[in-house]
Amino acid sequence: MKTASERYAALVRLVESRTVTRATPALLLPAGPYFDLAGEEFGRNLLLTTTNNGVEYCLRPDFTLPIAQQYLEDGMIGVPSAYTYLGPIFRQQHSTPVEYEQAGLELLGQPDADNALDQVLTFARWALAIYDITAPQVRLGGVGLFEAFLEAAEIPPAWRSRIRHRFGHPEALQRLMERLANPEQRVDAPAPDSRDTVIEIVTDAMLSGGLSLIGSRTPEEIADRYLEKQALESAPIPPETVELLQNYLSVAESTSSAFERISEMCKEAGFDFDEPLYQVRNHAAALAALSPNADVIFDASFSPRLDYYTGIVFEMTGADGEVLASGGEYDRMLERLGAGEPIKASGCALWVDRLEREAGQ
Amino acid sequence: MSTLPGGLTLAIPSKGRLEELTRKSFSTARMNIARPGGARSYVGSIKNQPQVTVRFYPAAEIARELILGGVDIGVTGSDLIHEASENGEENVLFVRGLGFGEANVVVAIPDSWIDVQQMTDLADVASDFRSRHGRWLRVATKYVNLTRRHFAKYGIAEYRIVESAGATESAPAAGSADLIVDITSTGSTLAANQLRVLEDGLIMKSEANLIVSRTADWTPLRKAQLEALLSIMGGVPPGISTLL
Repeated sequence: MKTASERYAALVRLVESRTVTRATPALLLPAGPYFDLAGEEFGRNLLLTTTNNGVEYCLRPDFTLPIAQQYLEDGMIGVPSAYTYLGPIFRQQHSTPVEYEQAGLELLGQPDADNALDQVLTFARWALAIYDITAPQVRLGGVGLFEAFLEAAEIPPAWRSRIRHRFGHPEALQRLMERLANPEQRVDAPAPDSRDTVIEIVTDAMLSGGLSLIGSRTPEEIADRYLEKQALESAPIPPETVELLQNYLSVAESTSSAFERISEMCKEAGFDFDEPLYQVRNHAAALAALSPNADVIFDASFSPRLDYYTGIVFEMTGADGEVLASGGEYDRMLERLGAGEPIKASGCALWVDRLEREAGQ
Repeated sequence: MSTLPGGLTLAIPSKGRLEELTRKSFSTARMNIARPGGARSYVGSIKNQPQVTVRFYPAAEIARELILGGVDIGVTGSDLIHEASENGEENVLFVRGLGFGEANVVVAIPDSWIDVQQMTDLADVASDFRSRHGRWLRVATKYVNLTRRHFAKYGIAEYRIVESAGATESAPAAGSADLIVDITSTGSTLAANQLRVLEDGLIMKSEANLIVSRTADWTPLRKAQLEALLSIMGGVPPGISTLL
């Protein structure tokens, strides 16, 4: 029987293995980049402190952002890199400060993204094994798969982006689905205005409201969206497509039957979706080989609420339902941080305190 | 204060119309609040209620003190309780509305945004705002917590809050924000600034409330004193203290 300190020592060995670089970002970090990357919803969890001239700093709330920033600052774009980390992070929850121990892996700029994701899954698997967790619940989600599905189902691009932006937020997505299923019947639909007329009306309204025409939303942007809305309302998504979408999102079951069901429903709808499914099938198989006792499900509606996730995402939970490890592919993160283009990235974060609690049971 | 065997602290807004109306509602219940040193004094008393110490605070501070248990009873806007802390309302007991200080906290956008009527429209605008303009959509407000909660409810994550201490309604024209979350009673200030409240942009209805702190140290004696005071105030069913 291992002790807690032996388990921790084993975790340190995993984090310091020879093929990776252990990163140690500062405890105190500028808060701006976190707000820029993740917005207010994540920002509310930061523990902030302010300098006399009003610049905000936060206690390190995660490792991924400073590691990715360092990668860019060091001019490493194009260089495949593997970073690990282990140490405390700080958040506030319900206005109470909390310190957590977090470990994780970040694979940046790896040429073979599929291989990188399998490495991430392997890392998580090993870390869980240190804590004698061999039969975790694993939830897989497909962000890229959902994007591919929206395209294959021939949902109009304007609706596609609206649906995509609500992915990972069950309530907002549900509301949108209801809206799609019951399109507003506009009996008094006005004849479409010409774009120039709408721009003129908006420009006048902006000027009389004292708004700058360039600082925020422009008259053209407002007019285009206005006309787009009119067009969408007059051309709703066909009911059978809405139903297909709802069926897709309701898939949450063991991987093989989940993929089977998705493949079937797409065939019935008249298109072949096996090619996009192929990749996620492979990762599910790799995971099953790594962790034969794990209970792996594919949940089609599962996605983190951060828009830089791109491919496959996952979550591993233990006996008491707490998330022990989570991660996936986030090729848009380095782009958001200023890389100029999407760069292959995948990784995971492990909640060490929870792992230890599971092991202690 | 906890060293005293009993006694209650009542917090009253320290200035303006809110102070005036609060004192009026207490004097209607034949409890005249005395403020011996005038507007520059921050301690007062109620005639015939020697166990009650009155303290005069700014309204936002009353909300914080009630949540932290620094005062026992207070009068302040319900919006300020919800704003002061993410779980502010769990730490207090709303005894009753006082019928004044009514106002709504709302999401308001420039009237010229003719393509935006509801929060879902705003979600669409927010989602691609950054790729269009190279920055997040900005919301000016002093209601940081209320805004975050309301926007999260509608799945809007892609925005930044610009904290605004006063004259929030001028932020869009000044270029410091794209839209606002602010309090409004008649809507005339918003209209004057050509701002429009979204159809589902009502975040909360607020009014001045008589509020009891749950986190204060409630001994049996102090609970009895609270019941006595509330029964004089009227309009409150007995037994409130059993909820503390």
